[in-house]
Amino acid sequence: MIDLSIQAWRAWAPGVDSAADWATWAATPHAIVDAGEQPGCEFVPPMQRRRLSRMARIVMHAAWPLCADDEQLPFVFASRHGETTRTFAMLDEIGRGAPLSPTQFGLSVHNAIAGQWSILRGQRGESVAIAGEADTFEHAIVEAATLLDEGAPAVIAVVAEERPAPAYDGWIDDVPFSYTLALRLSRANGGPGWRLSLDENNGDAAPVDMPHALRFVRALHDGASLDHPWKTRRWTWQPIA
Amino acid sequence: MNDLERDIAQLIVDTLALEHLTADDIAVDQPLFGQGLGLDSVDALELALALQNRYGLRVAADSKSAREHFATVRSLALYVRAEVDACAS
Repeated sequence: MIDLSIQAWRAWAPGVDSAADWATWAATPHAIVDAGEQPGCEFVPPMQRRRLSRMARIVMHAAWPLCADDEQLPFVFASRHGETTRTFAMLDEIGRGAPLSPTQFGLSVHNAIAGQWSILRGQRGESVAIAGEADTFEHAIVEAATLLDEGAPAVIAVVAEERPAPAYDGWIDDVPFSYTLALRLSRANGGPGWRLSLDENNGDAAPVDMPHALRFVRALHDGASLDHPWKTRRWTWQPIA
Repeated sequence: MNDLERDIAQLIVDTLALEHLTADDIAVDQPLFGQGLGLDSVDALELALALQNRYGLRVAADSKSAREHFATVRSLALYVRAEVDACAS
């Protein structure tokens, strides 16, 4: 059982960016058309910005304001599928017998975005990059909780997925559109927040049909509990007053 | 700036995603790496690959001469011309 306070959060999906946008979306959650839009990230100098993938831009855009320039906070990056766009570009090069792009190769690893966050923000502390299954969001929260237990005053935790190339249709079926949720978390310490519990899933509960992180965005607006079964695990989110 | 120099400057802009620049923004004698344009070692690898693909050269990445060839757009153009001529003859 984990009790957390959400000090701040930001999310992004194509055309859904501001707090007001998300309040509207949360009232009637629906699939968003993903036409490849990406945040501008003008706050990153051009020579650094050119190395940011679409997914990295989405993450930076959402997470950037959650951490002040004069604080050092651990960073958790979580994505089930990671940089599918870069990976697919490299697979294409391999398929054509062409040499791999060093830039694509170097930035395709799962912790690349966490590394870019560290460099761009001057963050010298701990960072974690994880990939789980459909409950990657909850595993990111577990990682954040362990960092808080070790004494971090707050943790930045970001879950991000990018809509993959059509070639992945039938293989990746849980990214209806690109999205990210960035959270600034601290210990609840008896104050209001959210309690995450894990129980065994006895098999009669089916997986939910919307990414867990987006269901959590909705819960942030309506305050309702969430039940997220996945295989043998059953995660429950409950608001605590 | 001659045609080959312009071609190489454009290749640098396109290959290295310098979206904030055009080929004309890169002076032929501006240092490409470090304090000049600000390119780094990953850019050097990427650029070597692009030169190989475009002009059919083989660039020996570790050689000291490679560092000299990659100093500026002008030095790259001289290098590419010499290599292409050598292959042709």
